[in-house]
Amino acid sequence: MESLASLNLIRLENQLQKLQNQFRKLIPLHKPIYHQLSDCGDHVVIMNTRHIAFSGNKWEQKVYSSHTGYPGGFKQVTAAQLHQKDPVAIVKLAIYGMLPKNLHRRTLMQRLHLFPDEDIPEDIRKNLVEELPQPRKVPKRLDEYTQEEIEAFPRLWSPPEDYRL
Amino acid sequence: MAALSVLVYPCRRLLWGLLAGPIATSWARLPARGFREVVEIQEGKTTIVEGRLTGTPKESPNPPNPSGQCPICRWNLKHKYGYEDVLLLSQFIRPLGGMLPRRITGLCLGEHRKIEECVKMAHRAGLFPNHRPRLPEGFVPKSKPQLNRYLTRWSPRSVKPIYNKGHRWNKVRMAVGSPLLKDNVSYSGRPLVLY
Repeated sequence: MESLASLNLIRLENQLQKLQNQFRKLIPLHKPIYHQLSDCGDHVVIMNTRHIAFSGNKWEQKVYSSHTGYPGGFKQVTAAQLHQKDPVAIVKLAIYGMLPKNLHRRTLMQRLHLFPDEDIPEDIRKNLVEELPQPRKVPKRLDEYTQEEIEAFPRLWSPPEDYRL
Repeated sequence: MAALSVLVYPCRRLLWGLLAGPIATSWARLPARGFREVVEIQEGKTTIVEGRLTGTPKESPNPPNPSGQCPICRWNLKHKYGYEDVLLLSQFIRPLGGMLPRRITGLCLGEHRKIEECVKMAHRAGLFPNHRPRLPEGFVPKSKPQLNRYLTRWSPRSVKPIYNKGHRWNKVRMAVGSPLLKDNVSYSGRPLVLY
């Protein structure tokens, strides 16, 4: 049976937790031909993983632990340090933890392609089919608002005449 | 040729310096002189240098609820704002990023605290790029890795990593957002997650 695979693109800017809905394309529950044994998942490409955002203080609080197997080999690294060493690792570990914990997990991870920045190899870029919607709406900074929007927003209070900021 | 420039007269500091001795204990608010812009007008042979008061912005007319005590109640925004409503929060901050006092803005205590918390979260999310504190002259800050964050409750420098996350009955949770905003209206139907 031929496998119908397509490549889908996710552009990441400032979101992590809400990826859950997006990488569902790896497990092809959206296809009517789905069967647990038929290997018909889609590839998912995620770019800009370097610009991911954590809510709360997780950059400092979240700790990624691992053990090399040797005595005294227990390593604990904060999310900020891990991101510094490898900008792709956080997204990879997050998705690995969200996939079903069975033997399919490794093959699904092989179909996930992560890139820290905008540059993607040509052969992947040519085969991209669909851009998936962004998980989180990025809020606008103060200097990204146009002058009309700033003026349209009402002024809530009037300062005293002689008050000096 | 008219030249416009905004000068800040350090009157308050001068007055404090002069009167610090005899009137040290009186806390009467000395009349402060507001911001003026210096305008030079040349008429023939005479040059007039004038300091004109820059206009203070007035409250917009017709608030939806004129009987409210604080600006948020008057405009019916009580449980409806968050850290991303920068246009609202920017009305209560100073140019360098600090909050304005409650006796000036007229907010009630609870709302003042909520807005203060939202302003802190917005600063940490990088939504006020032009309200950063002033650095001394010639100071080049070290380039730090740029980490994007949002809904940060604590200051990044003050937080320690959680090396022991605890057992199932005793987990150490990582805080997100602020409990002051737990009464906010949620239009998406999902409950607010604080931990």
